[in-house]
Amino acid sequence: MPIWEKRRSALLLAGLAAFHILLISIQIPRGAEKSLFEKSIFFLFSPVQRAVTGAARGVGSLWTNYFDLRGVRGENQKLKKENFFLNQDVRFLEDRLQFFRSEAQVRERLAAFKETIIPARVIGADSANPYQTVIIDKGSLDGISKDMAVCDRLGNLVGRTIEPVSFKETMVQLITDKGSSVSVISAVSRLTGSLTGRSDDTCELRYVLASASGGQPGEELLTTGYDKICPAGLRVGGILTLEKDEFTPIFLKITVDPYFRLNTIDIVAVIAKTGGGE
Amino acid sequence: MRETALKDVFSAFLATLLAVLVYSLAGGAGPALLVVLNAFSVVVLYFSVRRGEVFGAFLGTACGLVQDSFSLGVFGVGGLTKTLLGFWAGFISRRIDVAPLFRNGLFMLAMSVLEMVLWVLVTAVVRRESLNFHGGLILLQPLVTAVLGSSLFAVERRLRARGSRGA
Repeated sequence: MPIWEKRRSALLLAGLAAFHILLISIQIPRGAEKSLFEKSIFFLFSPVQRAVTGAARGVGSLWTNYFDLRGVRGENQKLKKENFFLNQDVRFLEDRLQFFRSEAQVRERLAAFKETIIPARVIGADSANPYQTVIIDKGSLDGISKDMAVCDRLGNLVGRTIEPVSFKETMVQLITDKGSSVSVISAVSRLTGSLTGRSDDTCELRYVLASASGGQPGEELLTTGYDKICPAGLRVGGILTLEKDEFTPIFLKITVDPYFRLNTIDIVAVIAKTGGGE
Repeated sequence: MRETALKDVFSAFLATLLAVLVYSLAGGAGPALLVVLNAFSVVVLYFSVRRGEVFGAFLGTACGLVQDSFSLGVFGVGGLTKTLLGFWAGFISRRIDVAPLFRNGLFMLAMSVLEMVLWVLVTAVVRRESLNFHGGLILLQPLVTAVLGSSLFAVERRLRARGSRGA
């Protein structure tokens, strides 16, 4: 009997393992860029995910709508939608007022902002670490592309769109992901730094010089818009702790509590066009 | 024989879709549930014990890659660990009797722990950064996988016994 007959399963395992190792190794130098193969798998399975989630939601909502108060629920959904946009407007107005003195400028900015919001529903979370990514049910056909800011229904920054972007689904990198980086400024002390995730429910504000004055727990952080992804003035989170970093004494060690809550984000807003930074 | 194999391939495909559904819905229930529940591992373990190492390895590859495609991590890490999980679960279950409930649970626990150790090692090597254990919550994942996996076998056995009694 030939050796491949006798050791068929061992050879098969070696082949599959080699395939995976090759797959992993070709990604290492390219960092976070997605391979064509990975994109294909996402394209193939994200509609499945969308379909099963949609079907489950459909069955769930049918049940609720039938046995619950149908009219009230429909009205509630409409009001929620309206509330979402109203909240976006209010937040935007509040934040913009800190940057612009002229009322005319505020109105102009607000109008531009409203036009470019794409509401989307979260249909899945990251299968390895829930604080890294979520998947939303809008894609390139809805005008979404890579590097667009994503907010929750209250206008708090959630993250940004990343590849893969399929026709009707998109992956969103959360601000709590370790690889994420957002340029932010504190509302009162004007401390500017780079907000990065820790792959848990908190974030870290980096590159704030230890010599900087001001800053205290509870102070709000807003986006600066310097990264050309997030528009300036979006609410991000509040400072949790602020102390000197033992390892890099030149910088402060600042932990941040992001405003968005992972277990309550169901509807998000993708800001399709930011209008640039300040 | 061929019919049974095809039936199992079809069942494994449906189970993979179910795992996608479970993980999608678990995301809405909270991040903690996603950390402790790995539906793809349950599918791989269950079918590997039923069909052996070759089936387990292929199913592990498929499930792992699907899981990887929904994650920001390096694509292929989940595929590699689940391929090895499927192969070893199928291989060992052909050599020792893992049918009794307690032994079945213990076997699944050992396999799940092995998968987690492999995943931690491969991720540490590939990403070169410390891993987030979610305050130790992730260590419950093998236990939950083992309980769910052995429960599936227990339910199947009970259904089969009821069926043969009925016939």
